[in-house]
Amino acid sequence: MGDEKQTDNVPSDLSNATESLKIEGDQKENGDASKSDKVKIDILLKATGNAPIMKKKKWAVDAEKPIGWIMEFVKKYLKLEADEKLFLYVNQTFAPSPDQLVKNLYECFGTDGKLVLHYCKSQAWG
Amino acid sequence: MANDREVLREIWDGKLPICFQLAQEEIMEIQQPDAFYVMVPRLSYFPLVTDKMKRHFLRYISQENSDSEMWLDYNGQPLKWHYPIGFLYDLLCGNDPQLPWHLTVHFTKFPEDVLLHCNNKDVVEAHFMSTVKEADVLKHRGQVMSTMQKKDHNQLWLGLQNDKFDQFWAINRRLMESHGDNEGFKHIPIKLYSDDGTCSQRLVSPKNNDGSRKTLQQMVAELYPDKHDVQLRTHGVIIPSDTPLQWLSEHMSYPDNFLHLCVF
Repeated sequence: MGDEKQTDNVPSDLSNATESLKIEGDQKENGDASKSDKVKIDILLKATGNAPIMKKKKWAVDAEKPIGWIMEFVKKYLKLEADEKLFLYVNQTFAPSPDQLVKNLYECFGTDGKLVLHYCKSQAWG
Repeated sequence: MANDREVLREIWDGKLPICFQLAQEEIMEIQQPDAFYVMVPRLSYFPLVTDKMKRHFLRYISQENSDSEMWLDYNGQPLKWHYPIGFLYDLLCGNDPQLPWHLTVHFTKFPEDVLLHCNNKDVVEAHFMSTVKEADVLKHRGQVMSTMQKKDHNQLWLGLQNDKFDQFWAINRRLMESHGDNEGFKHIPIKLYSDDGTCSQRLVSPKNNDGSRKTLQQMVAELYPDKHDVQLRTHGVIIPSDTPLQWLSEHMSYPDNFLHLCVF
């Protein structure tokens, strides 16, 4: 897991987007969730197929957020056009519904304290 | 494996009478449209059963809206097309049954923040197949769906879409089999909904730590340690609390292979 840990700050040209999305970079290691009001869940975003790689892969996300919100976030981060598609997959198997909550997926499919999501610009696993 | 075939058949045959009415603000003709009555399978999805109804109302609305996406509401609450019809009824009317179920049809003011878009039936199929895959990951680490052929997946979908019990169950029975030495799934695909519609999904084993079969009551005690008198409803019935989860999953799951239970 060490090589997945990203310590770089968000590139400056993305700071506006990330601020408005209120997503927080993973600055600290496990166990600090209780200090803030909202429970955060670590997600790891992995590119697959023809999708560009995200410089920062690991993010702490509000547990109550829907998957659709993460899709929008990734699209903005990658500067995709509004009409470009983005698919997210869990376990490299199924595409969760955009209104599914991050906490539900983490509860059922989280491993080693994080939820791994693969993303791509075309359908990868049916 | 599912073997109480009569139960499966009974669940499959469950239908709801629905009375569709066009929203007043949509009506552009002097003559008021008649309400549209139809019996629909509880296990189906609204986009699969509303083609005729849509055609009935199209001639009463403004032409410029005829290509916009239709959506439904009950009592002002938009209905999510990606939930099975019977589940929506249990969630919204379970405590106060009304038949026929009166729903309002809209062609404008699509509630973007509440509903997902559904431009055609392919979107429903993609959602359905993905949910079946998710359930199979929970039950068998995804091995059954991944070893099936494309034509099996199609048969599953077409069986549901065309309301063909035998066609659907010829494939679905494989998804309901237990693997390995033990009887039972690895986990039970289950979605629990509170009455505000919030869905909670938890990792639930069909067995207790001592290897005995876990009942609904035991699961409720684990998930809601502070609550008493929790009752669960699905397919219009309150489930007896001593029902084993494994049996429940094999017989009372929706075609998407998930148990959709309303908690109250």
